[in-house]
Amino acid sequence: MPSTALALTPGLASFLKSLKTNPIDTSIENLVSLLKRRQIRHSRSCATATAYLLLRVVSACRTSESAKLIERVQSVGRRLMAAQPREMVVGNIVRRVLGLIRDEAEDDREAEFALSEAGSESQPQTPRAFDDSSLPLDRDMLSLRGEGAERSTSRPPLTSMFSLLSHPEPEHSLPSTPGTQSPNGRLFSPGQSKDVRAEVLEGINEIIDELGQVDDQIAAYALDHIHSNEIILTHTSSTTVQKFLLKAAAKRKFTVIIAESFPNNHEATHATISGTSLGDDENLTFDSFQKPLIAHGITVILIPDSAVFALMSRVNKVILGTHSVLANGGLVASAGTRVIARAAKVHQTPVVVVSGVYKLSPVYPFDFDSLIEYGDASKVLPYEDGDLVDKIDVQNPIYDYVPAELIDLYITNLGGHAPSYLYRIVSDHYRKEDISF
Amino acid sequence: MTDPVDSAPTSSQANAPAQLPTQAATENPSTTLPIREAKSAKDQGPAPSDKKPTKGKDAPAAAAPADAAAAAGGEKPLTPAELKKKAKAEKAARRAKEKLERDGGAGAAGGSAPGPGAGQPRPPATPKKDAAAGGAAQKGSRAPPPRRGSQGGAGAAVEQKKKKEDKSVAVFGHLYGQQRRTTIAGAGKEVHPAVLALGLQLRDYVVCGSSARCVATMLAFKRVVESYTTPLGTSLPRHLTTHLSHQITYLSTCRPLSISQGNAIRALKLAIAGIDPSMPESAAKATLCDFIDSFIREKITVADQVIAASAAQKIQDGDVIVTFAGSSIVKQTLLAAHKEGKQFRVSIIDSRPLFEGKNLARALANAGLDVTYSLVHGISHAIKDATKVFLGAHAMTSNGRLYSRVGTALVAMSAKERAGGVEVPVIVCCETVKFTDRVALDSIVVNEIADANELVPADVPQQVTGLPDPAAFTAPPVDPKKAKGGKPANAPTPDPVASDRGPSPSPLANWKETHNLQLLNLMYDATPAEYVDMVVTELGSLPPSAVPIVHRMSTNM
Repeated sequence: MPSTALALTPGLASFLKSLKTNPIDTSIENLVSLLKRRQIRHSRSCATATAYLLLRVVSACRTSESAKLIERVQSVGRRLMAAQPREMVVGNIVRRVLGLIRDEAEDDREAEFALSEAGSESQPQTPRAFDDSSLPLDRDMLSLRGEGAERSTSRPPLTSMFSLLSHPEPEHSLPSTPGTQSPNGRLFSPGQSKDVRAEVLEGINEIIDELGQVDDQIAAYALDHIHSNEIILTHTSSTTVQKFLLKAAAKRKFTVIIAESFPNNHEATHATISGTSLGDDENLTFDSFQKPLIAHGITVILIPDSAVFALMSRVNKVILGTHSVLANGGLVASAGTRVIARAAKVHQTPVVVVSGVYKLSPVYPFDFDSLIEYGDASKVLPYEDGDLVDKIDVQNPIYDYVPAELIDLYITNLGGHAPSYLYRIVSDHYRKEDISF
Repeated sequence: MTDPVDSAPTSSQANAPAQLPTQAATENPSTTLPIREAKSAKDQGPAPSDKKPTKGKDAPAAAAPADAAAAAGGEKPLTPAELKKKAKAEKAARRAKEKLERDGGAGAAGGSAPGPGAGQPRPPATPKKDAAAGGAAQKGSRAPPPRRGSQGGAGAAVEQKKKKEDKSVAVFGHLYGQQRRTTIAGAGKEVHPAVLALGLQLRDYVVCGSSARCVATMLAFKRVVESYTTPLGTSLPRHLTTHLSHQITYLSTCRPLSISQGNAIRALKLAIAGIDPSMPESAAKATLCDFIDSFIREKITVADQVIAASAAQKIQDGDVIVTFAGSSIVKQTLLAAHKEGKQFRVSIIDSRPLFEGKNLARALANAGLDVTYSLVHGISHAIKDATKVFLGAHAMTSNGRLYSRVGTALVAMSAKERAGGVEVPVIVCCETVKFTDRVALDSIVVNEIADANELVPADVPQQVTGLPDPAAFTAPPVDPKKAKGGKPANAPTPDPVASDRGPSPSPLANWKETHNLQLLNLMYDATPAEYVDMVVTELGSLPPSAVPIVHRMSTNM
């Protein structure tokens, strides 16, 4: 019965359904309006929708020229980002797809270059050595995802001087690219470059897979960070945080204090902790039909946001979800996060942020206010108090900017990082030329 | 001081008195009604008018409820001295029965706190009063307590008690002393009607705020003193103290006493003890009433004026003042500054579940101030362009910590820890009567735990505009909701309030039956002394470290 209802509600599910049948331009329009109307809200829903749309765009783009492909993706990406500039994951996904295309294009060029070189002289040694030294790190990252074993062997064995100059990163370690690197057979089959599109499509599919698995990958680190009898404080209802806690709950007993994040997300929080599905279309798609924490014997204490400071002296760790992460190590998360992180800092309580790499945005904002979205004032002051609404100015910020110094640790699907290390992951995942397109 | 903060309880009580007259009239109208009338005088204007003539009393209907109740109670002990004898046997039987019922109904040990000592040789509240009030409460007051979530018979009470232990947050175990009283049933017969009424008002946050509670308590005690007659064979200073302690015990079962109440009571007891036993009773009572009046005047009323005047000096043109929740003294300060013609902006931060800031916002907006209103989640935004933070206090502890409505510490912290910016001065307005010699390192040592059911989003029909079209508003709103929220059609709830929030009122509605789920509704938190720059008192502006000295000075005087 939910499926029929779902088709009616504008949201991720209905968008994905219509994507197959609608023409591309309609789909783009559709997503633009969904973003504008905030009918797709969660970062991951936005990311998934963007990825699927780009998949369609790339597959429908009948060209094998990478430059045209890039142009097309850029134009679509610009429209999507203009529709909701504060939804940074949209831009992130677009940038990653652009990076994919560029990689493929360069790989092709390299392959030709290498082939022409191979006849005349041996491979240049220096770049290879450089390349090899960077390999272990890369392998580690891949094996974390549990799929790197065969990839690392199938990597093209060398990078030429040419590519070193063209992009200084020795390796694009993003988990999705290795799959798109063509098997080394290509080196020996001198045919015309393989269809770039097919490779890119494969890459986008990997991004989509990543979006689906990211929470479980992050949750795999849970046991390293949550120990028995700890008191964990978290805020609002993030699927990533919930999965993280659930994973630890399978092995350990601890206490979770949840600040309800009134007024923007308290209903979802209440539903999450009590285990009743709210019927939220976006959550339905992401199999949130699992048992709540309380069913695992975890004591869950719900508090209003105002009581955070009072309880912080007893909290061992603060685990926060986020909306998007910025290259400087700061993050944008639901309103109220900043005071929680600040209170934790004051009490010397570690603050751990769990976030998929896809939320990591290369944007460095100089004006943090531009990242903040303001929401429905009637949630703060209901219209019963209409007389009051006329006279006073009601504010309902939806997001907070949390500076990097308040965060102790980021846990992404690649592992744990200090906030100061994030810029490095950014440069691993996005091409410089795509950062502002 | 008795501004109706919470409209929900008052409206829910409105139907309780409606049932009462019939019930009470059958038993003994003249003795039962005073309290109830006081309540209904407040709740529903016309109700008392038809009752008054029958009793030939002149309780001012429009006056503050405490006054009304007290005035009514003032002559009550005179009426039924002989009735007592007649009804004694009957009463005993009835009371035993009620006690049984009440224990089931109240569902907590606190419900039966001050057992009526039958052997007190004193003109007591009438025998029937208790019985009638108790009986009325059984029927009529079933309506108010739904928010307390304790229905069910005696059998359920046992089970519920077991659950309740499960529901108290372990760290705060020491604060879950007793359940707050649900009805006035079981209150001791020596509890004065004015105090009975005040207790319920305190419980329902009708009288809310440290100063207001203090003033209301003192006023109620003044009525107690006025209607007091010394029993034979004892002296006023000796007996009045114990008589008062019954009232105090009752009040503390309604809501734990505030620091200011405690200080005021201590001062009053000291004054009583200081009375010469040979002084005639009327003179002693007059002395005490004078003492209470001057205490209120000195410690609260005038002190507030002094504080407001001196704190208003701290406000300059162009300031952006951030304040948290609704403090009466901060309100006075801001209004005083506004009256002086200063141009400034006020940003009010409010919190669930009491939303005290709304009243402050309304008062300030009506006075013509420029007000911004936001909730706790917007602190970091509100503080960004703040120039000063004004906070009210529930108490100041001896180690300089500010003990105030939960969330205050977050505001003070945000003011002090502003990233990259200049620190914002945090100014606390606090009467010295709120100083205490207790110390607290964090908010766990001293605190008050309110009923967690207040956190369950009840029936706030706020999503009126969320409905797709206005026409659906008149139609049964189940269908539009389903179309909008994509809810499965499994909950045919015709109740518009419930369906406003979806098929069920709230996922937390039966949190008490959900294992491992706890709700914590703290009332206060302690702000570290280093976040407070200045405490403005009626004795001057001090650093928080001066609190113990001032407290000693003011108590030794």
